[in-house]
Amino acid sequence: MKHPAACIQCGDCVEVCPVEKVGGHAIVTFLADPDAADYSVWLCTICWRCHQVCPTGVDIYGLMMERRRHEAAPGGYQTAFERVLRSGLALPISQEELDQVRAAWGLEPVELPPADLVHILLHKSPSE
Amino acid sequence: MALYPGCLILQRMPKYEQAARAVLGELGIAPQIVQEAACCGAPVVESFTADWVHLSIYNLALVERMGCDTVVTLCGSCTNALIRASHALQDADLRTEANRRLQRVSPDLMATDTVTVKHLVRLLAEREGELRARMVRQLPLRVALTNPCQVFRPGDVVGIEGEDPMHPQAMRRLVELTGAQAVEYGESGDAENECCGATLYLAAPKLSLAAGRRKLEATHRCSADLLLQGCGNSQLLLRNFQSAFLRDAPDLHQPALFLPQLLGLAMGLPKEALGLRENLL
Ligand code: SF4
Ligand code: SF4
Repeated sequence: MKHPAACIQCGDCVEVCPVEKVGGHAIVTFLADPDAADYSVWLCTICWRCHQVCPTGVDIYGLMMERRRHEAAPGGYQTAFERVLRSGLALPISQEELDQVRAAWGLEPVELPPADLVHILLHKSPSE
Repeated sequence: MALYPGCLILQRMPKYEQAARAVLGELGIAPQIVQEAACCGAPVVESFTADWVHLSIYNLALVERMGCDTVVTLCGSCTNALIRASHALQDADLRTEANRRLQRVSPDLMATDTVTVKHLVRLLAEREGELRARMVRQLPLRVALTNPCQVFRPGDVVGIEGEDPMHPQAMRRLVELTGAQAVEYGESGDAENECCGATLYLAAPKLSLAAGRRKLEATHRCSADLLLQGCGNSQLLLRNFQSAFLRDAPDLHQPALFLPQLLGLAMGLPKEALGLRENLL
């Protein structure tokens, strides 16, 4: 990954990152030290703290998302992505199950999204 | 007003929607649920393609088609994604492309950037005065709240006017309306703004659970009566996954509520209307 020119390597982002607090190394590790190898762009809680505190306005989130698109995804992400492609939803449920959940909680019925929705919106076939 | 619960609340946590509806109902608000809504796209789809934004725009177009100018959300991530998508619509080229795709889904779908996305915390904070007038009892509880991080940051895009993105006070003020005490906890005294770790789960379950445990240890130390969330992801980790990260420390188990469940209790609403099974008082 190319180190952003705007970054002054101050480390403020590392200070606020919750992943660092539990022993993981997110993209902020690389920003504060471009030579660091022990980090992963997939380790992030998407809390936007680094983005918020960066004194030079580096688009840390955008940089991370861009990089993710070039790297193999962890299983959890891959599975969830494929599910959205297939069903339009990040978690699995059938219309029948959803009807039951809604009725059990006294909530109005909800229709699931159309089957070909994601295919049209993302220009992708469900098998991709 | 429309309501977009998002995948997690719709499928796994209907009690949050039920409690939100009960409290909003007391304020004369009866939001219509968005039919045929899809995943907001973030962060999962966004991690694979820049086209994720078309999923959120589709959801905004559904709200427009309902004739609503506001959509209320319950989770942090969908709030953040929908607001960022609505900002993205300000780009003329993207808007044209988005509407081209929407037309192929259904000719009556259009995204023109007229929808305001409001997380429940913001909607309730705007009605603080009315809410205060509806309180019928004071709750003698110590509450360890967790702010939904993605509702307040990045401040320049999704932030709420008058709120410090790193130290928002809206949820704390709402808790205090009920008479409950919003305790300061954690080494920094600021753990209400520390991330619960939920969004880390997809990539690194162990680290995610370690973040949850860190939080529970802190709330235990400050002898809170309960944890309080304003986001489904956060409750998924801090409540539903407690047994996973507290296997060797069962005494750390603590009840966890959603914000409208606490508000509803102080408003005298019946537990059943708030999706509450816990006996707290
Ligand atoms: S806070 Fe900004 S400038 Fe400082 S190290 Fe991080 S990315 Fe670089
Ligand atoms: S957004 Fe991600 S990288 Fe930035 S502080 Fe939060 S967890 Fe760390």
